[in-house]
Amino acid sequence: MKMEDVSLSSMDNSKMEGFAQEILSDLVEDACLGLCFEVHRAVKQGYFFMDDTDQESMKDFEIVDQPGVDIFGQVYNQWKNKECVCPNCSRSIAASRFAPHLEKCLGMGRNSSRIANRRIASGNNTNKSESDQEDNDDVNDNDWSYGAEKKAKKRKSDKNPNSPRRSKSMKHKND
Amino acid sequence: MVCGTAGNKQQQREINMSKESQMRAAINQKLIEMGERERLKELLRAKLIECGWRDQLKALCKEVIKEKGIENVTVEDLVAGVTPKGRALVPDSVKKELLQRIRAFLAQHST
Repeated sequence: MKMEDVSLSSMDNSKMEGFAQEILSDLVEDACLGLCFEVHRAVKQGYFFMDDTDQESMKDFEIVDQPGVDIFGQVYNQWKNKECVCPNCSRSIAASRFAPHLEKCLGMGRNSSRIANRRIASGNNTNKSESDQEDNDDVNDNDWSYGAEKKAKKRKSDKNPNSPRRSKSMKHKND
Repeated sequence: MVCGTAGNKQQQREINMSKESQMRAAINQKLIEMGERERLKELLRAKLIECGWRDQLKALCKEVIKEKGIENVTVEDLVAGVTPKGRALVPDSVKKELLQRIRAFLAQHST
């Protein structure tokens, strides 16, 4: 009788199934052992019981599930309707409009430096304080690319320099 | 050669069995070398966490610890106390999925 080469045909399906079960069993045992080792270490190092506290403290920090309130129990849209006083122009501004207003009011931030640059490029006389602020912006503004600004300046001089309307393409250029 | 037939049959069976264990060893080796065993382990781990098995077992561990005391509990205590139930608690769906992958691997790599 000829000796057959070792191949799948020498192991029938039930044996293959048994083999697969064995492999699974090994894997499950690995998982159990892994867990036991982790737990044991946690116990001996003292951090196993860390998230158990007394019942009272547990109640204090329970997740809140009420309407109008976040999971900590804080009201989350109470700042929507508040108004803030601008330190620069002393106007009362709505909270959600406050940051953009400050940007323009103080002359800092990307948009206002762009407006200022455009005014300069179109040949208007600017006072010294404005150009100083603009220099600061160049240094501080990390996401502002000088190359793009040069391109923008060039394009603007082609158009009507006295037009007050901001072009849309420039607005979205550096976004 | 009549008296030799029974002996030959026994021998043949033994040879078949060792071929089989050779084959199992070869497949196991492939499983490890190709990284598939590691992937299967990860898959199993993820599934067991998902289905809450890990938390169940942790709770069982707590009981063992409370029984033996934090100072005295050993790894063997935990293993002995928790592994048998751990095996039983694996959900059938997880077992099925793992077995599918294992069978696929065996079918692909057993020649």
